[in-house]
Amino acid sequence: MTPREIAIAVLAAGGVFFAFVAAVGVLRLPDLYTRSHSASKSDTLGAGLALGAVVVTFGANLSAVKALLLMLFMLITNPTAAHAIARAAAEEGIEPWTRDDGTQTSDEEVER
Amino acid sequence: MTGANVLVPVRESVTLRNTVAYAVDSAIESESESPPTVHFVFPLVRRAVLGPPPDDAEELLGRVEAWAEEDLEERETDVRVETAFVGREEYLFNPGDYADVLARYATEHGVETVVLDPEFNPAGMTPLLPPLETELERLGIDAEIAPVERPTRRFPIMRRASLGQFVVLFGWAFGFYLLIAGSLAPFELATGAISGLVVAALLWRISLSGFANVRRLAGRLARMGLYAPYLLWEIAVANVQIAYVVLHPKLPIDPEIVEFDAAVWSELPVTTLANSITLTPGTLTVDVNRRQFTVHALTTETRKDLLDGGLERAVRFVFYGRSAARIPSPAERNAERTWESDADAESDVAENSDSDAESGADDDSTGGENA
Repeated sequence: MTPREIAIAVLAAGGVFFAFVAAVGVLRLPDLYTRSHSASKSDTLGAGLALGAVVVTFGANLSAVKALLLMLFMLITNPTAAHAIARAAAEEGIEPWTRDDGTQTSDEEVER
Repeated sequence: MTGANVLVPVRESVTLRNTVAYAVDSAIESESESPPTVHFVFPLVRRAVLGPPPDDAEELLGRVEAWAEEDLEERETDVRVETAFVGREEYLFNPGDYADVLARYATEHGVETVVLDPEFNPAGMTPLLPPLETELERLGIDAEIAPVERPTRRFPIMRRASLGQFVVLFGWAFGFYLLIAGSLAPFELATGAISGLVVAALLWRISLSGFANVRRLAGRLARMGLYAPYLLWEIAVANVQIAYVVLHPKLPIDPEIVEFDAAVWSELPVTTLANSITLTPGTLTVDVNRRQFTVHALTTETRKDLLDGGLERAVRFVFYGRSAARIPSPAERNAERTWESDADAESDVAENSDSDAESGADDDSTGGENA
């Protein structure tokens, strides 16, 4: 493997890893706010790394420029979307999950 | 509803003459024992004026005073008229800053009511911020927009725009289209020109707020070039931390909402900081009300990092230069506030206040459902 192929493999693997983390986070985290952390940001990095692999694969040409632009737009739109969701939730009055809620719930489960 | 003393912030506008007449009328009609006073104040805008106020401001206040006297001469009343400058040695950026200054003046002079000229719009068209009257009512001051006729009613998001802005926007759109197309064939040129025209026609009054100061913009862009790698590094580091937390069998999270006053001013820096906070994993900007940030932090460490203010400092560096980066961090400033139930925090959002109050009352049950 050439160094370039290694770089592509590493970037792509990183992208897959963080996309996986994002998916696991959405499943495991307890409430809307914590989930949107995972959904928006691990995902941004995951997709960013995947696009990085694309850039390295294409080398310096127009497709690479387009991939870079895609990255830029994702960096702008992903946090904005996460913010919009969290803000809508806050205005609807959804209370964020806290550590105390967690212990309370597990106590209830024990009682049952 | 109008109290005895009236405060009118003035700026040059087509409806100002009618607003003055309305303010004087409402002072006359108010039934109170002490003779009412109409205060006309000129907020000095966006620059720290240390010397004498500018001539045009003096001239405007003089004109307003003459108009008020003219209106008073026709009636037998003892209404007094006062004029003043406010906001001296201060930077007034958004409606909230204006509201603060006006409220301070109102308290000092015993004014209960503020009458606003419908065209009084000192902070420009800022669709993201609550308008001045909302800010004033938040501070407990009666605000009323003078019911005077105005010539035209603009869409709030539109600004006055020049043909130059249209051309610049068209240029950007066209250039971007050709970059994506990757060729200069006649077909691409034609379709690009059409697309650029459509974009510019739709957005020219929204997207550009005017011509920027080129030198300052260049400085900002250069510092932004330094900021981007820093931000990317922060994102990478924080993502690894979050990956650890998420994949850890015990899920060691301790989410909490933090509220703090950020030491950034004006729209673009605030937006940049809010987006940077959201981009850095573990912290999520829930709401921004003027400079007050409501941030959801996933773990104790991310909360500490946030209040150590690395990002905030970097954003200040980008927009205001190196000297501004030395302002103490939020933790050192004690800028953190305890987050109360959103019933109080969001009370200015009228439609939601009911549902907020309900959820604030039984926060335990909501948490239980989520878990």
